[in-house]
Formats: sequence, structure tokens, C-alpha cells
Amino acid sequence: MGLMQVEESPKDEQLPDKQKLAAPVKSVVDKFQLLPEFLKVRGLVKQHLDSFNYFVNTGIRKIVRANDRIVSGIDPSIFLRFKDVRIGQPSMTVDGVSEKLNPHMCRLSDMTYAAPILVNIEYVQGSHTEKTTMEKNDVVIGRIPIMLRSCRCVLYGKDEAELARLGECPLDPGGYFIIKGTEKVLLIQEQLSKNRVIIDTDKKGNINASVTSSTETVKSKTVIQMEKGKMYLLLNQFVKKIPIMVVMKAMGMESDQEVVQMVGRDPRYSALLLPSIEECANLDIYTQEKALEYLEGKVKRSTFGSPPNDREGRAFSILRDVFLANVPVHNNNFRPKCFYVAVMLRRMVEAMLNKDAMDDKDYVGNKRLELSGQLVSLLFEDLFKTMISEVQKTVDIILSKPSRSSRFDLSQFIVRDSITVGLERTLSTGNFDVKRFKMHRKGMTQVLARLSFIGTLGHMTRVSPQFEKSRKVSGPRALQPSQWGMLCPCDTPEGEACGLVKNLALMTHVTTDEEEGPLISLCYCLGVEDLELLSGEELHNPNSFLVIFNGLILGKHRRPKCFADVMRKLRRAGKIGEFVSVFVNEKQRCVYIASDGGRVCRPLVIADKGISRIKEHHMKELSDGVRSFDDFLREGLIEYLDVNEENNALIALYEGDATPDTTHIEIEPFTILGVIAGLIPYPHHNQSPRNTYQCAMGKQAMGNIAFNQLCRMDSLLYLLVYPQRPLLTTRTIELVGYDKLGAGQNATVAVMSYSGYDIEDAIVMNKSSLDRGFGRCIVVKKYTAINQKYANSTSDRILRPDRTGPGSERMQILDDDGLAAPGEIIKPNDVYINKESPLETRGSIMSPTGQTDSRYRSARQTYKGPDGETCVVDRVALCSDKNGDLCIKFLIRHTRRPELGDKFSSRHGQKGVCGTIVQQEDFPFSERGICPDLIMNPHGFPSRMTVGKMIELLGGKAGVSCGRFHYGSAFGEPSGHADTVESISETLVKHGFSYNGKDMIYSGITGCPLQAYIFMGPIYYQKLKHMVLDKMHARGSGPRVMLTRQPTEGRARNGGLRVGEMERDCLIAYGASMLIFERLMVSSDPFEVQVCRVCGLLGYYNHKLKAGICSTCKNGNNISSMKLPYACKLLIQELQSMNIVPRLKLAEA
Amino acid sequence: MDGASYQRFPKVKIRELKDDYAKFELRDTDASMANALRRVMIAEVPTIAIDLVEIEVNSSVLNDEFIAHRLGLIPLTSERAMSMRFSRDCDACDGDGQCEFCSVEFHLRAKCHSDQTLDVTSKDLYSSDHSVVPVDFVDPAGYDSTDQQRGIIIVKLRRGQELRLRAIARKGIGKDHAKWSPAATVTFMYEPEIHINEDLMESLSLEEKQSWVESSPTKVFDIDPNTGQVYVVDAEAYTYDDEVIKKAEAMGKPGLVEIYAKEDSFIFTVESTGAIKASQLVLNAIEVLKQKLDAVRLSEDTVEADDQFGELGAHMRGG
Repeated sequence: MGLMQVEESPKDEQLPDKQKLAAPVKSVVDKFQLLPEFLKVRGLVKQHLDSFNYFVNTGIRKIVRANDRIVSGIDPSIFLRFKDVRIGQPSMTVDGVSEKLNPHMCRLSDMTYAAPILVNIEYVQGSHTEKTTMEKNDVVIGRIPIMLRSCRCVLYGKDEAELARLGECPLDPGGYFIIKGTEKVLLIQEQLSKNRVIIDTDKKGNINASVTSSTETVKSKTVIQMEKGKMYLLLNQFVKKIPIMVVMKAMGMESDQEVVQMVGRDPRYSALLLPSIEECANLDIYTQEKALEYLEGKVKRSTFGSPPNDREGRAFSILRDVFLANVPVHNNNFRPKCFYVAVMLRRMVEAMLNKDAMDDKDYVGNKRLELSGQLVSLLFEDLFKTMISEVQKTVDIILSKPSRSSRFDLSQFIVRDSITVGLERTLSTGNFDVKRFKMHRKGMTQVLARLSFIGTLGHMTRVSPQFEKSRKVSGPRALQPSQWGMLCPCDTPEGEACGLVKNLALMTHVTTDEEEGPLISLCYCLGVEDLELLSGEELHNPNSFLVIFNGLILGKHRRPKCFADVMRKLRRAGKIGEFVSVFVNEKQRCVYIASDGGRVCRPLVIADKGISRIKEHHMKELSDGVRSFDDFLREGLIEYLDVNEENNALIALYEGDATPDTTHIEIEPFTILGVIAGLIPYPHHNQSPRNTYQCAMGKQAMGNIAFNQLCRMDSLLYLLVYPQRPLLTTRTIELVGYDKLGAGQNATVAVMSYSGYDIEDAIVMNKSSLDRGFGRCIVVKKYTAINQKYANSTSDRILRPDRTGPGSERMQILDDDGLAAPGEIIKPNDVYINKESPLETRGSIMSPTGQTDSRYRSARQTYKGPDGETCVVDRVALCSDKNGDLCIKFLIRHTRRPELGDKFSSRHGQKGVCGTIVQQEDFPFSERGICPDLIMNPHGFPSRMTVGKMIELLGGKAGVSCGRFHYGSAFGEPSGHADTVESISETLVKHGFSYNGKDMIYSGITGCPLQAYIFMGPIYYQKLKHMVLDKMHARGSGPRVMLTRQPTEGRARNGGLRVGEMERDCLIAYGASMLIFERLMVSSDPFEVQVCRVCGLLGYYNHKLKAGICSTCKNGNNISSMKLPYACKLLIQELQSMNIVPRLKLAEA
Repeated sequence: MDGASYQRFPKVKIRELKDDYAKFELRDTDASMANALRRVMIAEVPTIAIDLVEIEVNSSVLNDEFIAHRLGLIPLTSERAMSMRFSRDCDACDGDGQCEFCSVEFHLRAKCHSDQTLDVTSKDLYSSDHSVVPVDFVDPAGYDSTDQQRGIIIVKLRRGQELRLRAIARKGIGKDHAKWSPAATVTFMYEPEIHINEDLMESLSLEEKQSWVESSPTKVFDIDPNTGQVYVVDAEAYTYDDEVIKKAEAMGKPGLVEIYAKEDSFIFTVESTGAIKASQLVLNAIEVLKQKLDAVRLSEDTVEADDQFGELGAHMRGG
């Protein structure tokens, strides 16, 4: 009777929750408005766009500046210098005329959406004697694919009307490329942090400290390993592990005492170091020279490597350039590197003494997300360097020729194609094969999933894993607490990639690189003591913290808290970049400052002593449009925290929960979920795996994919005829635009058992609902034909169809141009293009016209669709493909109504197939006349525990009664973004329903009231792409494989249904020998063979003599004919061919 | 087979009758009769609906099947339907369903010439038979009557788009496709019989009474402001939700009220799509029901039937 209390309380819709009532009077500010503002400023795929924009604006300049000269090896005075680089407008050049491109054009005509890379060059021109320096501006060196909606895209900054004019959907997020007409996404790659010390254990339990160094020039991995109490260096360039003390000595740290001091004076530390020191002494190495000599002996000799650099020695250069490459060595001063090694050793020793000091590889703070900008930049750098060396080579060849006739013009040797082709090929295949950076990865790009709008969005936020999926480890798959707010806890696939493939949360931002120089000098200004000025002893002074900037030890600071506070203050004031993170690690006694790219971070509201900086008037100004999200950032009301810095913060979920220690307040709790999980109403009431299942299924739901869906030429398109927006929405749905491009319908669901055809999650559907358009969908498939040109200048031709005569009935739908006409109904085996190909396509050149008809063979293409279905030719598009051939695309559309076996699902991971379709008059009805659209079995609830679905039903019912969309955002009850069950029940009662959502129902068959009250109301149902029509398959006799004469396999080849091993085993166990015989031979590949009883080999049947003959015995006296599976005969003959003689011994049966 | 006759004479009392709405009581019969009537109204009363669409030009945003489906669902005035032939039974046209006895032809021509989007509605359908036209939804209450009612929107056209088609409407029943169903809502309920135990009720205080009365989601009971007595306002508002009974039990007064469903008395609510009048819908349903029963009754002279059905045959002949 909870109802009564609710009725008596003031009808305020949302009851103020108890916590807030108990808290001291404090105005709680509704910060939700920040979220739409955030998304307006940043968009949903901001991480991709930011990263690409960074590359286009800054990264490409850096690369070109670092490699700006092409100098001839023969005559060094001949050079070419790149002065500046920029990327132009997306365009293409046809016959020398540059034409502007827009994305939709590229999609339709299979082009690459790319822009020219323009450089300003300065180069030397002339012959031997007179050389002049020339300048040229805007030289094209190649074309780079442009990310949609990035700052170089034509869509950048366009409003809705302009986008519509360009044929673009305003809700489309962008962030992908268009390569040869297909939309390609460069997935976000997850990696371990570069240039950071990671302490962990290997398989044998040895403690490792590893650093993956990555600088502009070198990429290397340095590992220091503790083995049997001694520490060794593992580096690729050395053949075996090197005692670490030898390395220290080789770097000029000859005094053992200093090493011990640097690591720390704690006797436990020195005790652990002792074995290593002893080992070094046993090797008789006491000086730098001795150590280098030792190392020289261990250097890996590359077979074809350059001759050793005699003067300084290879070991020395490896130590300088490869070993810990991220630590710069100026003037051969190894002291910073020694410090770095000492810090590594110290951390290892700490880890030995205290297992907690071990780093967690799965911790999100130790990870970096590599985005499309970085990947494209890597690719570009490789291609650019390749181009430079190519140019250099050709120039040298020309210059080395004794006599040159024409004037030498270096600018003419710039190759344009290698960059264009390289970028295009890599992005379209997804195989990153960059030898220069030892990068060989496959499947980096994927075709953008355009199955549903939400699937597209989900694809853009996907993070692909660093490990291969086959690893059977649980650690990286488990949900990490540090993922909170950064990566969606729900959205991960099931199966092998479970937990490895992740998705970004709603508010996550991925940083891009930031200029390091100013930050470093700022740190020194703020009182960081330079490493150079410190003795080894001082390094780990108990009263000071080390300051580590992007993995580099800057020095130490005596008042770390102060230092961090000042840095943060500067950041909030906008003096340094907003994504710079400052993290004080008390345990390691370090201050970490990070400005590198690929860190995940998210915005939070700053609180001073637990009081939010955002006040009512700020939000008022925001809603009035005077203030933007960036203003909040600029004024220090909001800041971005990365995962590491979150450890220094105390973040309150709600303003009311804040204590004086609180430093930050969440903007909205539901932003811990991603885009796809955000569609689920009341996910916090569901069992967790259900939300995960829904995340997988939401991507398969049919609906609308984009506003321009009917102008697109997707190879497969599923659309719903009458999509609806969910009655029970969430804030995320509104933010991402799912209410405009929905993928489902609000079905009135009765939770009851009916007819028995609803067991095992099957649903019973109302035939009248289906008649009226529920679940009706359109499937559009693309068929292409190419009018090819051949080497001998002949080409395919498309003919006007014969209107009469044989075969004309299959060509009824063709127009006079030989192509199927849009709007015609097309049946299986109908011709949709009446094409002919020339018989001869090679050899001497023939005149393209004037060939006789006999020189062509028919190459008609016929439609092969499901029998008995009416498909319609939707559109026909002509365009020229990349070879300049005419390409004809046919879109064939099929409207389907739900049938038995089609798959449906609600938004709570409750999928089910349609079990039966029942007439409306047989359906149960309420006395109001409400008749459900579908019936769901109540057994779906107890074990699944999807309480959210029940609340959705209640909320939907209340929504249709009172005419207001109800909300069910995750964790939204306290903040008013989700309606409480109490308020929903109240609304229901107000409109004459029972508070519990149950109705009195009459049986439609008998007219008698049902025994129980039935839980009935609207639930948003999705139709999934798996439909019976595409899957059902049966065959009697049909095609066979040529080799074995057995039936073909698979539905596409009209294959047979296999009686597999297990089925066979069952039959054997049952003793159904005749059935086995029939299935395995008679119905498969029976073959009559002639067997010689004497030699046991196979003979043949001579049709002239009408007798079997043994070819070995040369007679036909002892031939028996018998039946074998053809595969067996094949095996016998194959064995014979490899000199094994299988003989058949026959006996009387 | 002698004995008392169980024949009953059902009575109908009409409560409310509008063109598209009827509410009546059906008494002295049982659920099977009431349900049969309901089922026939939904599924077997014939109407006319567009069944075949021949599209000449369609440059609108919706595809051909989409428009055809929408056209089919437009209710057409179907007073003629009972006397019309099913196209499959039609002798005049050999069942191709294009003759005047079994079909009605419609034409639609619309093209947008202005920058304003043009709504193509059911009003743009021109019928070859003035008695079969799309249903006009003019609300008799007259609200919204100022701007002209534009019928049911089929598709919206922008400048330059055109829709031209020919459609053939045929007679059919809701069993085949919901578009032929004349009923929007047909439902009935058992008439509730409410007995308040006055003695027990008097033992309640006014607040208790109030809370008990309010426990029903629908307004079934009320308290007389003068006497403080609980009385039944509207028995039919009761939805058999048992809330008041549960409440009474929770208050420790079981048996405070007793509610029965009268098993031989039904209150029907019929809403029509407009294809035929609600009253006509009921009458047609009874007519169809009669025809169905006629089909079941075997003719007198079939002797084989006796062998086939035995005693049952005689029974069906009315013996």
C-alpha cells in the first residue's frame, strides 16, 4: 500500500531525496546543462577530430621541418628545402583542372576524399657553372585523405542547412575517412605508455623495469631485469644481458658508492644492490674504458651493418642513442641517464621489498590511446622520408651522368604519387606496415558500420586492444576501477574480445601532444632544482620529491604540494594547456607532470573545500547563451583531469555529498557510460551483463541510419518503415540524437504466457499490428556492374533488350538503355543489365566500334534473390570508377513484414524470435480496448533480473497516459534525470491504472477474464538485422563440388545440410546403419567402379564391349562392379599417384 | 433429448450512440456469445479498402510499397460493403477484381509547385464511386473546424515532386488484413455487482473511509458529504483490480465490500474506424454471425451426413 503514502505527499513529481534534505542548506546547482554544451563544443567524436586537426595544423609541419632538405650526395651545393607545408582544400584533379570535392560526392562515385599537400620550396636550379636559388610556392607533393568534419574538411563549421545542401546528415559525427568511396575508421589503439618506467614481473617471477622509449628519431625498448638477485640490462642491440653495474660504469659512473647513494642510502637497498656490484667486480671492470670494452664484445654484429664507428665505438653510441633513448644526452653527458637508471633501480628495489610498488599494466593511467592523427602522422612521416630518399637517389643518378643536356631542375623530381598511393593503400587495407618504425599491424582501419545510427557512433568510440585476442588472461579483460568515467563499463563485446575492446565514455577526451619547452622552463622557474646540480646523495633526500615531466626526470622540488598547487592554478588560469596533468605520487615521492598525447581525461567541476565553484548564476548565464563551456574552463570552474591526477582528487558524485576534503564534483553520474550504453533506460536497475548484451544488440537494430540515408549507396541497408523515438528516453538519447534517428518501435507488451509458442524467449505477435506496420522494414542491396574497357581497346557494351523472342520474358524490366528501370518489380532470374563482353580482349588493337555481334558473348547479370518475394529496383546510378570505366550501381529494395523467426529485442539484452503470429481477435484485450502488440513470456524475468525493463514498461505506460516522455537516465533518480517508480505509479493511478502496471485482461479466445492480472504497457522494441528470410535454407538435390562430387557447402551455394561427425555418431550408436549408408553415400556421392578381383585395383567400363576391364591385368575376366563413394575412389587414385597401392579385396556378401 | 430448454433471449440496451462510437449492454447471454460478437466485429465484418495500387509517377521521398501500404490503411466509407462481392467470388470479371461489382477505382494526382511542402492526403483520392470515399474526420464537436480538415496525410511533397497513381479498392475482412477491419476498438467487460457491507463500513472512521475510497485507481466509490456514507458512484468504472478488497483486508476489515462479475451481462464499447457507423457495425456483425451459423447448419436432405456425423448430424439439423 505504498500508494497511499505517495498520494498524500505533495505532488511535486520529483521528491527531494533524503540525502539532500539532511544536508545543510546549500543550493544545489543543476549542472546537467554543461553536458549538452560540452557535446556542442566538442562533438561526439572530438577525440578523432582533435587528433587529426593537430596533425594537420602542427604535426605535419614538425615532420617536414625535421626533414626539410634534399641534398644531392654528389654535389652538396644542389639542394631542395621545404620551407613550409600546408594542406589545401579537398579537391581532385581531372585532366589538369582542379575540382572541389565534397564527401557525399566521393561516397557516391567511389573516390577518395583527399586534399593536396602543398609545400613552399626553395631549390637550386641550373647547370654546373651557374646555379641559382629558386623559390616555388604551393607545390603539390601528394594528396592526403581528409577526415570528415576536421578543420580541413568542407563540412567544418557548417550549419545544418549548409550540410543538407552538401548532401550530408547533420547528425553524422564525422571522424572517418572516405577512401575509394568506402567510409573507413581508424580505430583508437590502446597502448602502454611510452617513455615511462613500468615495474612488473615476467613469467618467471623476475622483477622487470621496462621503458619503451620513443623519440622523433629512435624507438627502443629498455628492460632492466632482476635475476637471481642480480640486475641486468636487456637491450636488443646486445647479444646477451649485461650486468647493470657495467652499464653504469660505461656511462662514467665509476664509483660504486655513488651508485648506492643515487639509489638510496637505506641499508636494505644497498644490500640488494650488493650482488650486482660484486658481479661487476668479478668481471674485473672498474673503469669506463674497461666497461665499454666489455660492452663492445657483446654488441650484436649485424651481418650487413655499417662498419663500426671507429672513434667512439659502437657500444658507446648504443648507450647514447638507443639505451633509454628518451633521455637526451647533450655533449656526451651521461649524468641524466645515470640518474634515470638509478631511479629505475630504486623502484625495482622498492618493488622487491614491497609488492605494492609494482605497476599495474592494466591501470588506465599507464595507457595511451593512439588516435588517427598520430597514426596518419606516422604513416606520412615514413612516406615523406621515403620520398626524400627516392628523390635523392634519382637526383644522384642524373648528376652522376657525365653529360647532362637539359638544365637541371630539382623541383621536377618530386614524386607526387608515392605519398598519395601509400596513404590511400594503407588506409583502405588497414595494414600498417611501417618498417622505419617497426610497426606491422593489421586491421587498423575498418569499414564504418552503417547498420544503424547508433552503431556508427559506437564504432567511432571503439578502442581496439594492444594484445591479440587469443590471450587467455583475465587481467586485461577485467573492469579496472580507473576506467571510471573514461571508458564505458558496459560496452564491450562478448566472446574472445571481451574486455579487450572497449568504448569511450560520454565525456572522455583524449589529449594531443603539447609543446614541452615552455612547460619545462616553467617547472624550473617554479623551484625545481636541476638534476645537473645535484649529487647522487641528494637525489632521494627525504624532504624532497622528484619532478618527472613526460617520463623525464627534471630535478627535485622541496615543496611538492606547493609546486603542484601552483601548476594547477596556472592551468586553471589558462596560462598552461588545459590538459596538462599534475600528479603527486606520495608513494614514489614524485611529482608527475604530463603533457603528452593519448592520455584520457574528463572534465570535472572544481570545488573549494567541498563547495562547487559553479553557482546558480553561471548556469543561468549558460542557459541564456552568454556563457559557453569554454568560458567555464577559462574561468577555472571546470578542469580536465586525467586518470593519474584523479588520484590526487576527491571527487564527490553529487554536490550534496561533498565534504570539506572534496576537490571536485562530477558533472553528471551517467557520463560514466558510453554512447551506446546511454540508450538503455534504467541501466542501474539491470543485471550488469544485460546492459553489455544490449550494447552489442543496439548496433544490430534497424532504424534510420542518417538523414541522407536514401541518397546513399550502401551495399546493404536496413531501414525501419515506421521508426519511433522511445517513450522512455534518457538524457544520452537526446544528446546523441537517437530521438531523431531511432531504431525501434514502442510496442505494447503483455507479460504473460500465451499459446506455448512463447517459450525460450520467443514472442507472440499480433497480426493486426504487423498489418499496420509494426516491425516492417526495408532492405536495400546494391548490385554493381562495370562496363569494362580492355587492352585491345574493345569494351563491354550494353544493348537494348529484345522485346520479343526467346529470353525476352526475363528482360521485361529493362529500359531501352539496357538497364533495369527504377520502380520495376524484379523477380529472381530477371536480367538487370543486358551486357555483352567481347570474345577477344587481348592481342592487337581493334577498332572499338564496328565489331560484329558474333564477336561478343552475353554477359547479362541476373538477379538472384529469394523466391516468391517482390523486390523493386530502387535506384540506378552511373558513375565512372577509378579506371575510368563506366560503373553502374543498382539498388534493389525489398520491403519485409515480420515473420516467424525474425529476431527482436528490447533495450535490456532480452532478445527473442517471433514464435507465432496470432490474429488480433484471439489476442487478449483489456476492458479499455487495449490489445497488446506482442506477448512476452514472464520466464524472461526471474533469471535475467532486468528490473529496468519493468520500470521502462511502467514509465512508458505512464508516459502514454499523461503525454510526457519519461526519463530513465542511468543513476538519474537523485538528480531528476530519471523518473522514480513512486512518481510513475502516482501518474498511473491518476489515469485509472493500477499502480503496479498490471491490468485485468480478458482472453480473446473465450472472452473470459484471465486468472491473473497482466503486466502490460509499452516497451521500446528493436528489430534486429537477423531475419529468417536471409537465413532459411533447405535443399533436395542440387549442385555438387567438382572434385569430390559431394554436395556443396553453405547457403550461398545452395549447399546440402551436412550429417557431421556427431550426428553420425548418434546414428551409429542407435544402429541405424541403413540411414548412415543412405546419408553418407546414396545421398552424397555414389559412384560405380569396376574392381578387379585378381589385382584388387580399379578398372574401367568399356562402353564398346559393354564390360569392365582391368587396365593392370589387361583383361576383363575377373571384374566386379560395385558402388563406392566418389571420395573414396578419389582417395584410392590419389594414393596410387604417390606410389601407394591400395587393393580392394572383395568377398561374397 | 427432452428436457428444459436452455434457450435464452439476449437483450440489448443502447447506452450511447454516436457515428463512430457505441456503448451498449448485452444481457441474458454468456461470454461465448459476447466474445463471438466481438471477434466478428473485429475480424469478419467486411469493409472496402485499397488493395491494389498502380503507381504511374512517384518522385516523393517514400517508396512505392510504403505509399501503397499507407493507402491501404485509409478507411473508406463502406456502407456498400455488405452488398458488394468479394473479388474472388465475382462472376462478372472472372475474379480479376476490376469490375464495378467488386471493386472501386481511385485516382490520385498530386504535384508540388510551390516552395511550401504539399501534404497529399486522403482528400486527394478521387473515387469512381461517390459512395466509397475516404472517411472524413470532421469532429462533430467542432473544435479545430476553422482550418480545413485535410484528411489523412499520405505523403508530403516538396517542390517538383509528384505522385500519380491508380488504386483499386476491394471488399475484404479484417481476418485477411487489418486494413479491412472496421473496428478501432471493440471491447466488453462484465458488469460488476458491488455490495458494500454497510455495517462494517459504519465501523470505519471518516478518514479510513476516505483512504479506502481513494485506494481505487478509478472513481468507483465516493462519500456522501452529508451523511458520510460510502456509496457506489460508478460501478462500471471498476476495473476488477481488487485494490479496494486488498485495502479492506489491509485495514483489517475483510468483507467490507464484495464485488462479483455478473456472468451474463456485458457492457460493450465499440469504436469504428469510420468505415461504417458503429451501430451498423454491430448489426453487420450479427448478420455475419447468422450467416456463419447458417453455413454450419446442414441442409435437410443430405442423408450421407447422418452416416458421417451420426447423432451430431441430426442435432445440427435442428432435431
